[in-house]
Amino acid sequence: MPLDTSAYSLALLRVDGRRWNELRRIHAQIRTQAAADGSSYLEIGHTKVMCVVTGPSEPGSRRGAIGSTGGGVGGGAVGGGAAQSKGAEVAVSIVIAGFSSVDRKRTARGDKRILELQSTISNALAASLHTHLFPHSAINISLHVLSQDGSLLAALINAATLACVDAGIPMTDYVAACTAGSTSTYAANDEAADPLLDLNHQEEQELPGLTVATLGGSDRVAVLVCESRVQVSRLEGMLAVGVDGCKQVREILDRVVREKGRRMVQEGTVEKGVGLNDMDVD
Amino acid sequence: MASTQHVLLSPAELAYLHAALSLTPPIRPDGRAPAQFRPLVAETGILPGTNGSARICFADGTEAIVGVKAEVERTRLVDGATAGTEWKEGGSARGEGEDDDGGDKAGDSDWVELTVEIPGYRDDDAGTAFLAAMLSEALLADGAFAKRLWINRRFHWKLYLDVLLISPPLSYPLPLLSLTTHLALLATRLPRLKSEGDEDPFFDDDWAAARHLFPRSSSSTTKESARPPVTLLVMAVGNNIIFDPAKEELAVADVALAVSVAEDTTAAATTAATMDLDDAAAPAARSLRLLSIRTIDPPSRLTPPGVPNAANSAYGATTAQKQPEARTAEAEAVEGVWRAPRGGAKPLVMAALVQKVLEKGGVADEILDALDAVDLG
Repeated sequence: MPLDTSAYSLALLRVDGRRWNELRRIHAQIRTQAAADGSSYLEIGHTKVMCVVTGPSEPGSRRGAIGSTGGGVGGGAVGGGAAQSKGAEVAVSIVIAGFSSVDRKRTARGDKRILELQSTISNALAASLHTHLFPHSAINISLHVLSQDGSLLAALINAATLACVDAGIPMTDYVAACTAGSTSTYAANDEAADPLLDLNHQEEQELPGLTVATLGGSDRVAVLVCESRVQVSRLEGMLAVGVDGCKQVREILDRVVREKGRRMVQEGTVEKGVGLNDMDVD
Repeated sequence: MASTQHVLLSPAELAYLHAALSLTPPIRPDGRAPAQFRPLVAETGILPGTNGSARICFADGTEAIVGVKAEVERTRLVDGATAGTEWKEGGSARGEGEDDDGGDKAGDSDWVELTVEIPGYRDDDAGTAFLAAMLSEALLADGAFAKRLWINRRFHWKLYLDVLLISPPLSYPLPLLSLTTHLALLATRLPRLKSEGDEDPFFDDDWAAARHLFPRSSSSTTKESARPPVTLLVMAVGNNIIFDPAKEELAVADVALAVSVAEDTTAAATTAATMDLDDAAAPAARSLRLLSIRTIDPPSRLTPPGVPNAANSAYGATTAQKQPEARTAEAEAVEGVWRAPRGGAKPLVMAALVQKVLEKGGVADEILDALDAVDLG
């Protein structure tokens, strides 16, 4: 079903009733799974993603199985020979469930699109995690896509960030991601085009869009992926909206982590540390 | 993922575990009774985009999600038949309206497609393929399941079951995956058919009117309460039979079996009819039917043997012992020294294993009761 862009200009409302600068509902949980070192569950609208982090641990035993599928990146500046690298290797593997899209579709492991997603996430996290603290080790991030409705890469990055926080891997800041688009297509040359925040699947099909991830509250862009044709004059607006959205996402992720931390202190799972003094536990 | 997952235990630890599990009653590392399952958390209907979905978390942290998707597919014709003349069932001569007697409904095993995803393992890995084969084999064993997917003589439902293990495989995930699949199938709903006879299928778009693939009727428990099968992992150590073994327990198993059972609806109907004077508990007593058995190669066979003190030079007993003598010393069993089990399982043990699974009020009964209690949304 084509997106009726003329309707947008009438009421300035998008197909799902949002305004141009509104995010969809983001719901996240961390420590969803007892067996893993770190785990998280994230929903952006109808996109649902689960993440399980194992490590940092000794690489090896399962290398043969993972190495062929996971998009691994050697930590720090060292790429390639990860076993010899100075930092921990961040290996990401993504499983897109057959039932995740509207029509059941089975994606092969060697799918180029999945490989690209894996290496994007792996690169982004390897830059943010302090991998140099864990030489000769591996951090395995396995992501499961349960339901897809646009902004998949953004959801995966956010879920991976949360799971790494849960795993207690030191990192500089959250890597928060979000998508942005523009209301007019590449061909249409209208000047009044609005940038849009957080595209859903339908908008992603119709409109130019990009995924942007920033490092924490700063404006430093960690990931910028654009898979569609877009007029260069619109790019700046889209990027500005995207970076702004990332700040909102960071707040949401931060709230999830703090909420969980507060609950764990209250339940006595962890002791209230010195660093937690500024956190008002009521 | 293979069942022969290497467990890093020394021969001494293996011997200790084996001895503890051979006691009567056996002492399990996690303190469970021999026929006790790990506690689990289950929920259904977690993914609105699927026809049915379920998630189960075992207490040890392993977690699985199963999603079921259904598509309408044209039934393949028999070879050589031209379109519109003869259908697969060869029932072209039958008139309309005779379909609901159920006699001419025939299913085909390729109406069901089951895939298993284990993180870190390739999907064409031998172990993963074996798991998928075991799960689908149990489903298709009696042919009754595929029959439920029959729409009319020209169309059927094609069911895709995607089994995802979310956590790293800490123990052999067969029972977890089987229970999750069972629950997802129980929660599966298909749109209500509006068209009649052999016309192109046309469905009610009201999801609230959709019908369960396995209808749950509380009133007549005997008639229409068929359920998908469950596959249980059972192992034997000495004379003890242990259900739902953890990884460490499987590492010392003499025999491990995957036994698939289902409720026997026909038998249940007849017994309930004959002994209705018995008591009110008659419908509760379900009779179980054996669907399939698979032997699982336990990792214990690949474990290194222990060395008895008598042959250990570190204990100085016979330091001058030569290599061939050491080999004979290893061959004979010494109390408290680990020796990997050799040879096949004894028929008596196998029979006891199967008997224990099918026992009335046994583990299978308990599990089916427990899964009954899960809200299907």
